Amino acid sequence: MPHDSIPEVVVTGIGMISSLGVGRHESWLSAREGRSGAAPVTAFDTSDYGSKIACEAKGFDPLDFLDRKNVRRSDRACHLAVGAARLALDDAELTINGNSREVGAVIASGGGGHGIYEHHLDTLAERGPDRVSPLAVASSIINMPAGMVSMELGLQGPLSCPVTACASSTHALGEGAHMIRRGAASAILAGGSEASIAPFIMAALDATRALSRRNDEPGAASRPFDADRDGFVLGEGAAVLVLESREHAERRGAPIICTLAGYGASGDAHHLTEPAPDGSSQAAALRICLERAGRGIDEVGYVNAHGTSTPTGDPVEVGMLRSVFGDRAPDLPVSSTKSMHGHCMGAGGALEAGLVAMTIGSGVIPPTINLESTDPECTGVDHVTAARDASVDLALSNSFGFGGHNAVIALATAA
Amino acid sequence: MGSKSDFPRVAVTGVGILCGLGIGREEVWANAAAGASGARTITRFDAGEHNVKIACEVPDFDPDRFVDTRSARRADPVSILGVAAGRLALEDADLDAGALTPERSGAVVASGTGGNMIRERQYKVMRERGPDRISPFAVPHSIANTPSALVSITFGLRGPVFSTTNACAASTDAVGTGGEIIRRGDADLVLAGGADSMVTPFWIAAFDAMRVLSHHNEDPAGAARPFDRSRDGFLIGEAGAVIVLERMDRALERGARIICELAGYGNSADAYHITDPDPTGEPQSWAMEAAIKDAAVAAEEVDYVNAHGGASQPGDPAEVLAIQRALGTEAAAAVAVSATKSMHGHCMGAAGAVEAALTAMAIEHQVLPPTLNLTDLDPDCEGVDHVVDTGRPSDVRVALSASYGLGGHNAVICMTRPAEAA
Repeated sequence: MPHDSIPEVVVTGIGMISSLGVGRHESWLSAREGRSGAAPVTAFDTSDYGSKIACEAKGFDPLDFLDRKNVRRSDRACHLAVGAARLALDDAELTINGNSREVGAVIASGGGGHGIYEHHLDTLAERGPDRVSPLAVASSIINMPAGMVSMELGLQGPLSCPVTACASSTHALGEGAHMIRRGAASAILAGGSEASIAPFIMAALDATRALSRRNDEPGAASRPFDADRDGFVLGEGAAVLVLESREHAERRGAPIICTLAGYGASGDAHHLTEPAPDGSSQAAALRICLERAGRGIDEVGYVNAHGTSTPTGDPVEVGMLRSVFGDRAPDLPVSSTKSMHGHCMGAGGALEAGLVAMTIGSGVIPPTINLESTDPECTGVDHVTAARDASVDLALSNSFGFGGHNAVIALATAA
Repeated sequence: MGSKSDFPRVAVTGVGILCGLGIGREEVWANAAAGASGARTITRFDAGEHNVKIACEVPDFDPDRFVDTRSARRADPVSILGVAAGRLALEDADLDAGALTPERSGAVVASGTGGNMIRERQYKVMRERGPDRISPFAVPHSIANTPSALVSITFGLRGPVFSTTNACAASTDAVGTGGEIIRRGDADLVLAGGADSMVTPFWIAAFDAMRVLSHHNEDPAGAARPFDRSRDGFLIGEAGAVIVLERMDRALERGARIICELAGYGNSADAYHITDPDPTGEPQSWAMEAAIKDAAVAAEEVDYVNAHGGASQPGDPAEVLAIQRALGTEAAAAVAVSATKSMHGHCMGAAGAVEAALTAMAIEHQVLPPTLNLTDLDPDCEGVDHVVDTGRPSDVRVALSASYGLGGHNAVICMTRPAEAA
């Protein structure tokens, strides 16, 4: 149970950029409508690829958020991060002026500047070591989206980039909240960014056989929990939530969207790419999250599942939910919004948290689309397959990353 | 972080380290205390076309000594260094991995970018043979979280597991965050540290392009010269360094040897420039002040600062200014400072953990490791008591280890002698 003197953490702003749109309202409208962001890849030629589809953030123009010089010298992962952070800060009506030391940035990324890193590797291969750019390191490292957010917005509080593959930005939200709880900051811009639609990383993910090859039907390719699923659709995007101590938010009269009530993290200690089949460590993360929130399983009104649409991952997650929720599982509303925005890797957890926060605020649960014939191994929970009106007081967002990194956060109505 | 008495204290009970100074903490400490250099000509790849041909590689590293599973043998050297350091750390703490409580044991093991060698090789495969020829292991063995995942998998740690991927400050943040995980009650034991090897064709070229690497190829041992007027950059070092953090009461209960206490952690951001530190050192000083405050010690009690000391022209003076700001000029003049990167090189994502390990051993042995090659002190780096050439016996009760990373990451931890912890 939280100590009396430990601050409560609230969410006061949301910035989201993905194939579903730019900004939280556009993204939310797409999610409510059950729109798929998947389409053939336009960023590069995928003719030699098994998977040729992705969820690109086509509506995003970096020049809306950064000047031309900074756009040129940084990767799309940085552009997306700065974009989402600016949107979040505006949404929270938070100004940085004389309070820069109190506000930090915890912005995750799975791999940082994928595209620009590949460009610099090409330079090395084609023109030799002495022709590599002086900005090669700074533009490609994984923490630069966090660094650029700090620099562009003038945030001088704690700065970090937690990395746990596909769970990275759920860890970012949880660790960011702890920085507020321990008094290291009054507010943290927490989230993640990923610009993974680049030739090498997409080919390497394709080589693991994790990506869907339903190239002729992009909109139907991401189908979590469906019997015909064949992998995930790669997504790009960024999402940032403004986390604040309740006292700080109330003092400045900020709009409080919801609270970040709990966070649980665990490791499978099992395998580099496969989840532990018994789901016990995923369950531990979920239980710890609820325990830290001081809430019971009966109070959970919605679970935004990790639900990547891979053959092995989905049954483990649903099995875990059945075991944790027991008799309640058949009535537990569950959806995977990756069916719409794809798997945004290091940005996935934050994007999903953003949608969960919108769910709590608006009373509508976004759906799992393409779930037509539920895999018998994925039954036993209440799959939400079309946007549903529901008053949700407490919701969970699950993220599980390659390597066995499990993170679960709880968002709740602000009493 | 609230009243200190409300939170568990954090003990350091084991040190596992592999770096240019050797393998295992005895060898590394003996070399560090003697002022040895780990710099050599690069052997990991043919650096014939590179301007920089020197680095601090781990000498005589035999992965088979440390990893036994088939999947780990396929791993990148970065991950293997992490697992090896974890194994050495557990041995040093007199802990059997099988006897740990898995759910209460975590791993916060950072790296700068993960498996560089595998990623560069697989990129070459794509360029030369096509995207459909890439290995299915390319992703799992190159992503930056894999060192932490493999430490978790190898030792069965099922508490919080992640990497704080904060460039050159990464593993100072890993150690600080590992301590926080114990303080907030999410684990009783954390293997915290970092692993890195950026001695690869791309990274040597890319760091050289930034003009941050020393070009003294003909004199490897004399190349890294932090705070010296003639400094011209750092050497890239390889390393794995992991320290065992335990809840103090649990460690005392099991009769563990307490090497030191991890008493405080502070973190801040420059928000200044994509590659250069804020020349005033002010944001760095905030991280230092936060660590000192978190440890509930006074600035004038700080006996030793293991400096970041990247031997860059703008970085070193900013760091000395930060120490002066944080401690006050009078206390700063009396504080012993050294940059051990002059011996083990800049171990990037593992640097902070290597330096935390050396700081812990400095407290344990009551000897301060030196800055090598500091023969002509830059006037802009005056104002602190530089420890030079060889280890200096000293009464060390409170020590800081500072790391500053590209992107403006500032991280500082505070370690104290166990007598102070009682």
